[in-house]
Amino acid sequence: MDLTREEEAILNGEMGEGMQKAMELVTALGKIYGAEDLIDITSAHLSGASYKTIGDGGLKYLEDMAAGGAKVSVPSTLNPVGMDRERWAEMHITRGFAEKQLRIIDLYGQMGVRTTCSCTPYTGANVPSFGDHVAWAESSALSFVNSFIGARTNREGGPGALAAAILGKTANYGLHLDERRRPTVVIDAEIDGSVFSYSLLGQAVGMAIGSRVPYFRGIAPGVEEAKTLSAAMAASGSVALWHAEGATPEAGGFDVSDLEVIHIGEPELKAAYDKLNTVQDVQLIAIGCPHLTEKEMHQIAAFLKGKRKVNKDIEIWFCTSEEVRSKCPEDVKVMEEFGPVLADTCMVVAPIEGTFQRTGTNSAKAGNYLPTLCSQKAMCRDISALMELVM
Amino acid sequence: MAGKASGTVVKLDEPLSFLGGVDGSTGDLRVGNGGNVAGKVLVFPKGKGSTVGSFVMYDLMVHGVAPAAVVNESAETIVATGAVISSIPMVDSVPSVDMFEDGDEVVVDATAGTVEIRDVVMKPTVSSAVMVDGKVLMLKRPDRCHSFPGMWSLVAGKIEDGESPADAAVREIGEETGLSVGAPDASLPPVYVREGKVLWQVHPFLFRLDAADPVLNDENEAFQWVAPEDIGGMATVKETAPVVERLIRQ
Repeated sequence: MDLTREEEAILNGEMGEGMQKAMELVTALGKIYGAEDLIDITSAHLSGASYKTIGDGGLKYLEDMAAGGAKVSVPSTLNPVGMDRERWAEMHITRGFAEKQLRIIDLYGQMGVRTTCSCTPYTGANVPSFGDHVAWAESSALSFVNSFIGARTNREGGPGALAAAILGKTANYGLHLDERRRPTVVIDAEIDGSVFSYSLLGQAVGMAIGSRVPYFRGIAPGVEEAKTLSAAMAASGSVALWHAEGATPEAGGFDVSDLEVIHIGEPELKAAYDKLNTVQDVQLIAIGCPHLTEKEMHQIAAFLKGKRKVNKDIEIWFCTSEEVRSKCPEDVKVMEEFGPVLADTCMVVAPIEGTFQRTGTNSAKAGNYLPTLCSQKAMCRDISALMELVM
Repeated sequence: MAGKASGTVVKLDEPLSFLGGVDGSTGDLRVGNGGNVAGKVLVFPKGKGSTVGSFVMYDLMVHGVAPAAVVNESAETIVATGAVISSIPMVDSVPSVDMFEDGDEVVVDATAGTVEIRDVVMKPTVSSAVMVDGKVLMLKRPDRCHSFPGMWSLVAGKIEDGESPADAAVREIGEETGLSVGAPDASLPPVYVREGKVLWQVHPFLFRLDAADPVLNDENEAFQWVAPEDIGGMATVKETAPVVERLIRQ
């Protein structure tokens, strides 16, 4: 790889062991993917935040990194953690888990990471601009900033993104390069336009195309729809970038006339729905994967206002960021009649498998991961259909 | 990634997910034939599975039960990340894990990207599928043979010093069958077959002929023409059937 004199010096340990380790990792990953050089980044978003997912090995890694004086050099945010920092008891979390989780948050804070822990940092805490090169982990968020904002990131892993944040650089390959951002398949989509229809669309497309770059026709996503679509396609496939005609910033620059066209309509959406629904009754309803936006908080509160939760056997969790929760006190009051509004955590990274076996959600992403990461049977319906279960 | 290490090989034939595949605090393997990775040279084709696998490798290091080195056919993010953060030397481009056997003593030089298998000798050979009318010429090795006695094989033999693999293939076909052939119609990168302390580096070739009337020398005792799909059912030298299948698909 073609390194500058300064980068070589870091690799040789002249800037300390922490920087050297970070450079070793970024260059090792760059070699695997054929990067020719490194590129400066303007921000990072890190995964590997929940004690449930990283375990004692990950915690020790963070302890050692922080003790070695590692510090991020670009604005960096953190993914959701395994519990609400204050309200973990309501999530049936043990004290032992809570202590380790709080330690992890503290260690990221010591390294200079902003510890608002959310999978939607692009709505407030960390907003890249068009054309920015960034190093983001979290499959749904990196797909959103690639696609809807036009920033440029590969699918970074937790330690790789942290190393990039420390250096302020990442390996220059893949989606950092113009030619790799071109669409490779056209999706003619026929959906009803509801947010839930974007979950099913994303599920169906991810199943159909894997890791290709889709170019959508027939959809007009806003922030909430783009968030949902990104999350679904990253979970059911491994889509990291998509374009939508008339809706995403890079879409206008491509000639797609020679590309394969896949039609997604009612039969494909039905197959996606069936794949996500493996149970008819639930113990927990969890909304907010990815985290609820302010607009979604308003909509849910408006829908619930004046209604009553009759079924006491089913718990409901609403998941969002601390930032959004603090901005919507009136909505929170209405929603709390149905269940806790939890901040900086979610049903996928919390250890729900200790308490529940059957969980309902409106998210295709959660629908994919609840069975594999949380040992749940899952139900996936739109929010109003889920709420009918308790009214 | 860099650095040198030596140790005893523990080999897995399938891709490995460190999460679930290895106990992070003991080094016990939960896949393959079991065993423990502590201080061993862990050989497997490549990583797979959850990205948390990188942290399982770190956990092994923290508990003092990390492998001395990791040897892969191809690099992938999870294992590469785990190797770097845990300071485990790694060579990620050996041609095939089939070169190794459990218990081999090896020296891994991750900086140079080399692995030396102690007391094992590599012998370059050729192995040619001669095809007429969709059938492959198979030769039966005598029981007195040193390697693979009594087995059926393609037209095989050692490459001599200074000889190219393709030239060796043409020469061996002439010597062993009396057939005269031109340039090969297909070839594959070498495959590796272990037989005790010998590592056979086998260069496969395909020669298609319109007609052939083999005359054997004393290196083989019989021949027959066999449909490719029937080779798997014969007692052959290792890897013969899959090599023929891949040659035909070329």
